[in-house]
Amino acid sequence: MIARRDLLRACAGASLALAAPLGCAPRARPEHEDGRVVVTFWYAYGDLVRKVLLDLVAQFNDSQSRVLVRAVHQGDYFECLAKLRTAIAAGAAPTLSHVVCEIVPYLARAGVLEPLDDYEGARALPFVPALDQRGAFAGGGAGAQPLVAIPFNRSTPIAFANARLLEQERASFPRTWEELVEVARRLTKRSADGEVRWGFEVPISWWYWVAMVGQAGGRLVEPDGRMSLGGEAGEKAIRFWQRLVRDERVMRPPPGRDYQAWQSSNESFLQGRIAMMWSSTAYVRYLEDNARFPVVAGPLPRDVRASVPTGGTMFVLMRSAPDEEKRAAWEFVRWMCDAEQTIAWSTRTGYMPVTRPAVERLAERGWYARHPNDRVAYDQLADVDPWPWAPELFRIERDVVEPRLEDAVLTGRDAHALMDEARDDARRPA
Amino acid sequence: MRPRTGWHPWAMLAPTLALLVVFFILPIGVAAYESLFSWDLLTPARFVGAANYAALAAHGELLRIALRTLGYSTIVVVGTMTLGLGLALLLDRPGRLFAFVRASVFSAYVVSWVAVALLWMWMLDGNGGVVGRLLRALGAGQVALLGDPRWALPALAVVGVWKLTGYAMIIFLAGLRSVPPSLLEAAALDGAGAWARLRHVTMPLLAPTAAFVATTSLVTSFQAFDVVRIMTQGGPARATELFVYAIYEQIFLDLSVGKASALTVVFFVLLLAVAGLQLRVWRSRAEGSR
Repeated sequence: MIARRDLLRACAGASLALAAPLGCAPRARPEHEDGRVVVTFWYAYGDLVRKVLLDLVAQFNDSQSRVLVRAVHQGDYFECLAKLRTAIAAGAAPTLSHVVCEIVPYLARAGVLEPLDDYEGARALPFVPALDQRGAFAGGGAGAQPLVAIPFNRSTPIAFANARLLEQERASFPRTWEELVEVARRLTKRSADGEVRWGFEVPISWWYWVAMVGQAGGRLVEPDGRMSLGGEAGEKAIRFWQRLVRDERVMRPPPGRDYQAWQSSNESFLQGRIAMMWSSTAYVRYLEDNARFPVVAGPLPRDVRASVPTGGTMFVLMRSAPDEEKRAAWEFVRWMCDAEQTIAWSTRTGYMPVTRPAVERLAERGWYARHPNDRVAYDQLADVDPWPWAPELFRIERDVVEPRLEDAVLTGRDAHALMDEARDDARRPA
Repeated sequence: MRPRTGWHPWAMLAPTLALLVVFFILPIGVAAYESLFSWDLLTPARFVGAANYAALAAHGELLRIALRTLGYSTIVVVGTMTLGLGLALLLDRPGRLFAFVRASVFSAYVVSWVAVALLWMWMLDGNGGVVGRLLRALGAGQVALLGDPRWALPALAVVGVWKLTGYAMIIFLAGLRSVPPSLLEAAALDGAGAWARLRHVTMPLLAPTAAFVATTSLVTSFQAFDVVRIMTQGGPARATELFVYAIYEQIFLDLSVGKASALTVVFFVLLLAVAGLQLRVWRSRAEGSR
């Protein structure tokens, strides 16, 4: 009798095989092309970042004759992740991909990531401490967990402002929550025909909520392992959003969800329809290059303390790939971590340089003096709250917290009742 | 015609039955079975009984998804049928102009949902969109219809009506062509005016066509996904999270095969019940009018 999982695996495999003939069939042997080992690399960017990544991949492929990295675009982070999980289940995973930090503990527990401790030089790579697996996760370091993720495009949320509008209103960059309300009030303008220029905008999403929970003095997981979702601080963060949107009416929640909302904020900012916003450091270059006004970046404001989460993604090798391909993928990952590649990636996009030599060289070359906005995220690393090494973290993000945030802000639901409901859901087994 | 042997009818039905079993009945069966497990594709499945249904029903989420989907479908079906019938009656005339207008209205049905969704996103944009500007000119202020939980679902339904009206119009036109002119002439000779002819002759004869349009529009509206995915991703505040999108979100974004399967089963039962009820009502009306 056919087991249920085998049947589903067969169905998933058949679907994938139909969708991508040959390329996605399960591979027992490594793929070669012109004598080179082929590394299939699934990535998840668009626009400028995609171009920079493809340039680097081409540079790597030209620089040697042993490995051929084949980069395959798979949509945004969450689309890429969905495809990756399906491909893993169907035995058709790529050799290399990159995934958001919050999913790493879950994938590690599922046993689908290649442990990297024994790969040449893996433990000696000179990463910026807050950005590698040890620093990015509380309890994710050596001894506690095997090394499974290598920092790639890492970021923190930062604040952006239209410097011209700040100057017009003689306002300075807000450093606290109260200052943010005050400055946003001054920057919000309503015209006679009902058109509004909003003082402030931020996507109502998990990443920014986590930052505000930390700023309000809370943490997602208590030291005893209880998923408190920030307790009172989690509710305070929601109430602050409600105040900005519903009471003060100085913030517009951007339409759309996930990265559509982020893109909407970026566009509104560039069009001068919002004066300040929170976004990722990943957009520094894009915003600077496309704005018709000077863009100034600064750290997120503090409430009782300063706090930011890290974001972006980490490289992961798939355990199911043939050994030869994994070794070849590691060669590419190490190459990407060299100072010059890290510098190229960082300066052309806005993502943080992930290794110390890259940061030192950038400082020596005067990059930060010429591009002070690039320095903001790096300096903010002093205030990073690491993610908990919790396999349920991604489910909590997507299924428990994220859907409730918009509900609270747009419909004005009571923050305490809502977070009680969320904590109840978080305790429920997946 | 009588079959020569007892298995002949089954042999004739076999290809269709096989397709139905493989692509409809078996997947629903697998989904029903899967809904009893907690499984994320990567870690071992765990039997949880009805816990997935209970989790979805907790805090009224399942009910809200069902009501939202029914609300969306009601607007789409009623809007599509009303506009489709109205346009069919208006445009059922000879001449190139009418043919051009009929083709123009139908063209929306041919365009892909993705293109339609992108077009309407631009039109509904609160800042620069045509509808946004119109609302501002009417004194409604800056209204972002897709960003407001009260208006996002009706806005999506309007897009659905716009897309499907052409299809309903064409089916109604075909129905109108099958109404015997002799009946209309006889009614006119008996002194029936245009309204009376429409109400007492045309409409009863269009009942089977209307039942067909209603059922297919209902099924199409229940399957709404592209328009949600492109325009709102289920937001704001889950206001546009319809059944199919909720299933997609559960399995692909939230890693829960069990909950997605439970939603699929509830969705199947709901669709079956609504389609059955609708057909029953239309059939009873059709029989009553004979």
